Amino acid sequence: MTGDRASSTPAAPPKSPQKPAGAGRWIRWPGVIAFAVVTVLLAAVWWLLVDGMIECAIERAGTQAVGAKVELAAADLTLLPLGLTLNGLQVTDPDEPMTNAVEVQRISFLMDGLNLLRRKVIVNEMTVDGVRFGTPRKTSGAIGKQEPGVIQMVAKTKFVLPSAQIPDVKEILAKEELRSLKLAETLRADIQAEQERWKQQLAELPNKAKFDEYRQRLDKLKSAGKGGLGGIVGGAGEATAIQKDISQDLEKITTAKKTFDSNLARIRERMDGATKAPEEDLRRLRDKYALSPQGLANMSSALIEGPLGDRIETALRWYAKLQPYLQSGGERKGNVEVVTPLRGRGVDVRFKEQAPLPDVLVRTAKVGMDLSAGLVSGTIRNITPDQPVLGAPTTFEFAGDKLTGLQSLKLSGEINRVDQASPHDAATLNVRGYRLLNLPLSTDDSLPVFVKEALTDLDLKAGLRGEALDANLAATLQSVQVTTGVKPDADAVAKAVASALSDIKSLHVKADITGTVTHYAVRLSSDLDQVLKQALGKQMQEQMGKFESKLRTAIAGKAAKPLADLRSSFGGLAGIGDDLAHRVQQAAGLTKGGGKDGGLGGLKLPF
Amino acid sequence: MIRAVYKLLQVIGSETEPGQISLGFAFALIAGFTPLVSLHNLLLLFLILVLRVNLSAFFLGLAFFSGVAYLLDPVFHRVGLAVLTAGPLEGLWTTLYNSTLWRLEGFNNSIVMGSLIVSLLLFVPFYLVSNRLILKYREHFLAWVQKTKLVHVLNILRYGAGS
Repeated sequence: MTGDRASSTPAAPPKSPQKPAGAGRWIRWPGVIAFAVVTVLLAAVWWLLVDGMIECAIERAGTQAVGAKVELAAADLTLLPLGLTLNGLQVTDPDEPMTNAVEVQRISFLMDGLNLLRRKVIVNEMTVDGVRFGTPRKTSGAIGKQEPGVIQMVAKTKFVLPSAQIPDVKEILAKEELRSLKLAETLRADIQAEQERWKQQLAELPNKAKFDEYRQRLDKLKSAGKGGLGGIVGGAGEATAIQKDISQDLEKITTAKKTFDSNLARIRERMDGATKAPEEDLRRLRDKYALSPQGLANMSSALIEGPLGDRIETALRWYAKLQPYLQSGGERKGNVEVVTPLRGRGVDVRFKEQAPLPDVLVRTAKVGMDLSAGLVSGTIRNITPDQPVLGAPTTFEFAGDKLTGLQSLKLSGEINRVDQASPHDAATLNVRGYRLLNLPLSTDDSLPVFVKEALTDLDLKAGLRGEALDANLAATLQSVQVTTGVKPDADAVAKAVASALSDIKSLHVKADITGTVTHYAVRLSSDLDQVLKQALGKQMQEQMGKFESKLRTAIAGKAAKPLADLRSSFGGLAGIGDDLAHRVQQAAGLTKGGGKDGGLGGLKLPF
Repeated sequence: MIRAVYKLLQVIGSETEPGQISLGFAFALIAGFTPLVSLHNLLLLFLILVLRVNLSAFFLGLAFFSGVAYLLDPVFHRVGLAVLTAGPLEGLWTTLYNSTLWRLEGFNNSIVMGSLIVSLLLFVPFYLVSNRLILKYREHFLAWVQKTKLVHVLNILRYGAGS
């Protein structure tokens, strides 16, 4: 093969071998055989190693995608017909490294060979057998520190058992600000300011001295009237001037009185508010610190929200992991699409195809899941990250009948990325006769609660349009057996709650889940609220009565002095009103009054 | 490294046709610059084995150019992407894209296209320059190189003190 290869050393070049003449100078015919041998050898090596390479590639890509070990027992590639079989696939649950989230006994692919040459992985049929969930692992599947998930329920209700103890009123009043005190203080300051202002104004308004002056002028005028015709004419002019002055002063005082009355009415209104404020403080603090119907509703929500929230978060976390594989990250550049391949070397540019097909497509996947209840089988169609190319969404349909501890199960839905600008996914789950066993509702030390057993019917309809999540769940639990770990020395409320929960035989729960995939809110309603209200009604009334009485006394004690001061200040302001009224009366008396007041009424004019 | 230098001196200092050595280097340029597992490299392997190409030159060149390719990948990517997204060529690429053979070649990958274009453009100039350099070396430097201590040391290392 290397007949022309130099065998010399740089120090001593060998003699040149006999050089072939003509075409032989450039062509070595044995090279054809060598090429055939090399090609066959390469193919043989590839064939020997390909299973291992596939196994490694799946494990590496899977581990990277899931964030925990993905292991494969064996991979087997067959050429005729072109197919691949994967055995013993284990996908570790990243949250529980000693548990497999999914374990699959066997996956077989029947592939389209011609399209594979075109770098299109088209799986005509995929069969997935022996799918099991939550199986134990022999070794940990953790691959390092995991970032905590960002999926969380907005305002998750914490389970808090209401206490039968009456809250300490002194402690409450020490940390709570009473609005009644603040209101009284503010109003008192305003009244004082108003009082000061009116005092100044009173000094400027006509007073007793002024009215005496008018009287003197009138008396003088009356005496002048007896001095003949000239005196009468001069007196008429003076009388008109006095009348005008008195009228102007009366107008001033009357206007001031009106303004004052209006201000006083407003202040009186605020006074009424301040007087009632201690009652409002009482209501507010009672609702906040005493066991109320609202508190009971929170407790029942917390009992259901806990386990429901955990399941929603698990589902959404896996959904988030699937996202990168539901939609390829293509970028348009002119008329062509530029797609970064997974291995990250260069970019693939896509051109228009005569018969467009996605790069990866599983046309039909038949899945058999070995649940603890029995076999649930289903079909997934059109699994591809390039739905716009295919023009059809991924759909799934699973069903199981007459299972152990489960009468029937039906799950269907679609993942639609056909229009990548407006993705929408939907799923419907119907479960009938599911025997729920040992479901923890509360692990709180004050009152652990477990559903020991219940027969459950469940209907779930969930939709995701873009980021907007909208799901409705309706569950009916029958033949319910609830166990509680109430301690013998627990208070009356804990015992009553435990007793009420233990007596529950059936339960209806409705949940509306809205928000986004990362931040969602659950609105729950159930007849558990009613059960707890009935059970705790007596305890609630007794406790609330005692607490309210103590709180009322304490608030009244605290508010008494500020309110008394306020009333006193208000009294001072009312005195100004009396003064104004008196002045109005005096001025009016000057205009109308008879001889007794020395007013204009006693002055007889000749015209 | 010493072995590679020794081999290189041995190859270009031999009486092998300079064209065969240059062709070995030029083929190595293509195989080294482009991703190794490519359809065109299978054709290249055929040519290398059938044509009287100096295999030592090819393997030496392959090791060298594969290393250089890592540094030039960003350049290949840019060239390839520019060519693949050039409007006037879209019709050609679309036709090739619909051909199984060309899809197998993976021509629509920016690095495959860029490295292939660069290496094909350099192929002939590189062959000619390489040929010329070998002739010049043999004419002016070979005798001098053979007398240098370096070659002496290399000979000792390769064949022992008796050489």
